[in-house]
Order: sequence, then C-alpha cells, then structure tokens
Amino acid sequence: MTTLHVIAHSPFGDERLASCLRLLGPQDALLLCGDATYALQAGTEPFAALQAANLGERLFALAEDLQARALDSQLAKVVDYPAFVELTLHHDKVNSWL
Amino acid sequence: MKFAIAVFSPAHAPSSRRALRFAEAVLAGGHEIARLFFYQDGVHSASANIVAPQDELDVAAQWRAFVSDHRLDAVVCIAAALRRGVLDDTEANRYQRPAVNLPMPWELSGLGQLHEAAQLADRLVCFGGD
Repeated sequence: MTTLHVIAHSPFGDERLASCLRLLGPQDALLLCGDATYALQAGTEPFAALQAANLGERLFALAEDLQARALDSQLAKVVDYPAFVELTLHHDKVNSWL
Repeated sequence: MKFAIAVFSPAHAPSSRRALRFAEAVLAGGHEIARLFFYQDGVHSASANIVAPQDELDVAAQWRAFVSDHRLDAVVCIAAALRRGVLDDTEANRYQRPAVNLPMPWELSGLGQLHEAAQLADRLVCFGGD
C-alpha cells in the first residue's frame, strides 16, 4: 500500500517535513504545497534534507505555489491541480500533515 | 472515482482556496465528490458573513457558488460551527443568537458524516495549513 503525503506548512516553522521524511515508506510520495514549497529553496537545511532523502520521482510540488513564491524546482516534479488529482489516485491513501 | 474532501482552514487561508481548486479539478477530471466536509476553522469557509477585501478573491463566495452550481453534499461540522458562531436558522433560534450566517446550500451535521464520507469515497483528501 502506498501513501501520498501532503505538507502545506513551512519547513522553517515546525518539524512536519523532518517527521514525514523519517516515516516515508519506500513507495510513498511527497507533495509540497503552500509554504512547504520553501523547502525547495536551494542552500537551506530543509533542501539538504530533501536531497538526502533522495526521493527521485516521488517528490512533487504544486505549480502555482512555486510560482507565487518565485521558486524553481530542481528536485521536485511540478504538478498542476489536474495532476494533483491524478496523483491522489495513483496512491492508496492520502495523508495530509494538517 | 469518488472523492471526499475535508477542509480544515478558514476562507482567508491559502489552503481553503487550494481545496476549492482541487475540488474543481476533481469534477473537471470526470470524477465525483461524495461529500465536502468543513471541520474546525474550516467552518468559517462556509460563513455567509465574510466580507473579502475588494482586491482579494472572495473564497467563501466561490465555495458557496461551487457547492450550489454542482449541487454538492456540503456538510459543516455542527460542534465546530456552534463554538465559532457559524449558525444556521435552526441553531440561531435554538440558542437565541441575533444572526444567521449559514444559509443554504450548507448543512450542519456531525462528525459521523466525515466518517461516512471516508467510507463512501475512494479517496479522502484533507486541506489545512498555509
């Protein structure tokens, strides 16, 4: 069973991202949206944690949230809302880190 | 596929708007929304008394239009709503409060509706955060 994890909080304000990366299963995926996309800012500690996690094709970021923050994504695959919907269907469960 | 969507944030939070865009994409993709459930501060996303600044999106109004246009089952958690002053006609009368801010198309009901929606749907997707 695979889970899509969704984080929407800034990685600079709490431990959600670190906890999620620790719990992430080998088939699970991670979608960053809202302030969580700040984790894709190169040169930061959360960015290093994401690099170290080496998620490859299992790391995603919501397009409009990257755009709103002038971030580009070298690590994450960029998805729009229709792709977000499809992503939830490619996994058995969706776990939002509320 | 059937989706249940739970919203945990008020209309002024980016995640309420994100939930709405996701819900629109669900329908546009030919899928079905079994139920929308507004919980905790998400009950404010259903309030009819929100006045959005003129240069900002009125997300509460967009939710209302979305629910009405697609005749969706949109449940607002009654316990979360009462404690935040989000009242329909019945509850405003029951507790003798001066205003009603939850007209149609919303329905006040219990947390059991979220549980049922999770059973009915193929996916439950929750929205909260920034």
